[in-house]
Amino acid sequence: MDKKKMKILVVADVVILVALIIILMTLKGGYEEQAKRTANEQESAYLEKNTQVLVEQWRSVDQYSMAWKLVYTVLSGAKTEAAFNSSLAAIQADKDARFKQISHLYSSVGINDAVQNGIYEKAGLAEGSILVKNEKGSKEVACGKNCVVKFSFAKGKLKNVDYSALVQYNLANSLKIEKPAEYHFE
Amino acid sequence: MNLKNISIALTVLVFGVIAMLFMQKGNYVNQAREHYEATTNKSFKGNTMVFDLVNSAIETNKGTWAIACGALQTVKNTQDMAKLEAKFFPATKGSMSITNKTRRFEANSANVIVSNFAKVEENKTTGVKSLAGLVSVDVSVLLGKIAPAEPDEGADEEGAEE
Repeated sequence: MDKKKMKILVVADVVILVALIIILMTLKGGYEEQAKRTANEQESAYLEKNTQVLVEQWRSVDQYSMAWKLVYTVLSGAKTEAAFNSSLAAIQADKDARFKQISHLYSSVGINDAVQNGIYEKAGLAEGSILVKNEKGSKEVACGKNCVVKFSFAKGKLKNVDYSALVQYNLANSLKIEKPAEYHFE
Repeated sequence: MNLKNISIALTVLVFGVIAMLFMQKGNYVNQAREHYEATTNKSFKGNTMVFDLVNSAIETNKGTWAIACGALQTVKNTQDMAKLEAKFFPATKGSMSITNKTRRFEANSANVIVSNFAKVEENKTTGVKSLAGLVSVDVSVLLGKIAPAEPDEGADEEGAEE
């Protein structure tokens, strides 16, 4: 190769090298920022989704606990439609007792107050009434996710209470903590 | 010749920088992936543990409630109560106190019910005493209220009456 061509090659190499170093420095910041941002976004999305399952579980346990208390109160009390209505209203209104009953269940398996309070801050208590069907002589109350207790009355007196769904209640059938998906650099 | 050497060195350097260009992206992606996996796996393990613990608590809790509510509908005496307990917790038996006319069932320390009966009955043939006439079932432990009093030390153990 003659000297002239060699000079051209050296100059071209230097130009390419400078250009590449500029590109390298520019992309470095871009890749770093993009990697951190996508990781944070995907982490937040997963943690949010994951925590939401515990929130739903907490609210379901609230409904479950109220339903048992209602069944017990109706069976041990006057066994009338009027008693059902007043018991239901009293149970739903007593928010301290509701929290205490949920907390008792969580504490029974060693879940400490800090964890409970963390979930409670996001979940609160189950919203709305657990009474999902309210017809004369026929009432249904929600007892958690995919769970219903049925009360039937004849002439204002309790005829039957079907709480088999409560006895068979299993939250693992309707709620699940999903494994984290693969990280994507996008 | 000197120029030739410089030219070769620069060309090698150009390819080196190109290689670095591709490698740096991989490094940042790997760092981000490691951080993501560490954070999400920790959350997955912690939340799964809470979720499973609560579900296991419900398993014991619902059985105890079922005994309490079933007793209010069907139980007349401690023999009936013993059968109901065995239906939900075959390995756990309640204990009876003739003195207090109560029967205490304890699935675990957080799941306790105490049934109160009206009278003591004695089988004249065997001499075994039992309780009859269910008056109430105390579920204050299940409600997270103060635990009912412990049974007397002299509480009669369930068993002979079954």
